[in-house]
Amino acid sequence: MFQLIKRYRELLLVAALLVLPLGVFFAHAKRADDPSRVDRAILWVTRPVEWVVARAVTGSLEAWSGYVALRHAHDQARTLSRENNMLRMERDALLQERAENERLRRLLSLEQGAPDRTYLGARVIGVRLGPSGRQILTLDRGSEDGAGRNMPVLVADGVVGRIQAVTTRTSDVLLLVDTYSSIAVRVERTRARANVRGTGKPDGARLEYALRSEDMIEGDVLVTSGTDGIFPRGLRVGKVTQLRRSQHGLFQEATVVPSVDPTRVEEALVLTSADRAPETAPAALAPGKTP
Amino acid sequence: MKPIAHVAFALLVAGAQASFLRFVGGGAFSLALLAPCLVYLGLNAGNVEGVLTAAAIGYVLDLLAGTPKGLMTFLGVALFLLSRAAGVAVDLRGRAAFGVLSGAGALFLSVGAMVLLRYVLPPEAAPGVRLLPRMLLEAFLTGFASPLVLIGMRAIDRRFHREEPGLLG
Repeated sequence: MFQLIKRYRELLLVAALLVLPLGVFFAHAKRADDPSRVDRAILWVTRPVEWVVARAVTGSLEAWSGYVALRHAHDQARTLSRENNMLRMERDALLQERAENERLRRLLSLEQGAPDRTYLGARVIGVRLGPSGRQILTLDRGSEDGAGRNMPVLVADGVVGRIQAVTTRTSDVLLLVDTYSSIAVRVERTRARANVRGTGKPDGARLEYALRSEDMIEGDVLVTSGTDGIFPRGLRVGKVTQLRRSQHGLFQEATVVPSVDPTRVEEALVLTSADRAPETAPAALAPGKTP
Repeated sequence: MKPIAHVAFALLVAGAQASFLRFVGGGAFSLALLAPCLVYLGLNAGNVEGVLTAAAIGYVLDLLAGTPKGLMTFLGVALFLLSRAAGVAVDLRGRAAFGVLSGAGALFLSVGAMVLLRYVLPPEAAPGVRLLPRMLLEAFLTGFASPLVLIGMRAIDRRFHREEPGLLG
């Protein structure tokens, strides 16, 4: 018997190593056993090895991806930076176009709001807002386009000014804040009449010829009265601030904040024909002053 | 010593494989690099030494992979025997042949585990034939990577190789 075992020991060993695990498998497969002491001992030996190998492999791969594989990262970064700059420029251009579209849409709504009037769209191509000189914007439309002297210039927010001088291709707009500009207005709330005269500063005008007896408070909106022969009635001019009513004298005084900031105008409409009533003497020209 | 070195090498391969797969594929694909170890043992190791090493590798694989105890031990020994039979029947030389046999061995391990588990586990928990494409991919990748294992196993064999004294002189 022993001789037989010794003779076939390899075969028996192989058979045992096949049958035994299979038996263990079928015996234990259906229920999850806790690891035996032998299992735990082997795991105790193998886990640190596995951990070290895992750290080594992971470290090597991370070193590869973090350093070696970044050989061309500088060139890529430069390319991406260039692309980023291009995209930012395109984005800025799109934002500009969007803002321009918005302004033009508002101008269009202004034009469509008064179908009996005809407008000429224009772009501002020059600005002269000198502290001691005239307050003038130059438009890219001239007499060839239908622009003419004393035509009102508007934006959606209100009055910009009127055309003072015209060439064949361009027009100079005398802004309402110019000292030579005087616009006949009414208080929208009470219909009280007055004039708005520029002060020569881009952000200011003052109220003239407003009778002391008229009902007027700070914050009142001023609109064109249509009596100066230049501006049609109902266009916003500005708001009353710093109202002063002295003890004596005929008139009360106030500062007017224009509805339109002339430094921000980029496109405007020239009113080429309107319901301008040829009534009373034009107030746009102050007595004794010629632009 | 050599069987212990083989088992230790198999352990290193298993650890490296787990780390590599986690880093590279994140589980999208798998490898069975212990199959080339077993195939190498089947082609080159002695009977007793080889079958004991194969059983040890299978046992460690059972512990590390969390498969039911005895499954990979049995399959490891079976793959060792099949490799030995293939080595006897066909003259296998070169890395390509080793890769093909390793791929087939990996497929044997996967399919064998699937078949045996379907016997003992409830149907909803047992792996299904839907895993077959994944097994084929694993076999292909294992065969592709098996020359690396071959290099390592050969290096261990060279380190523990002893010349037979007196044959030439």
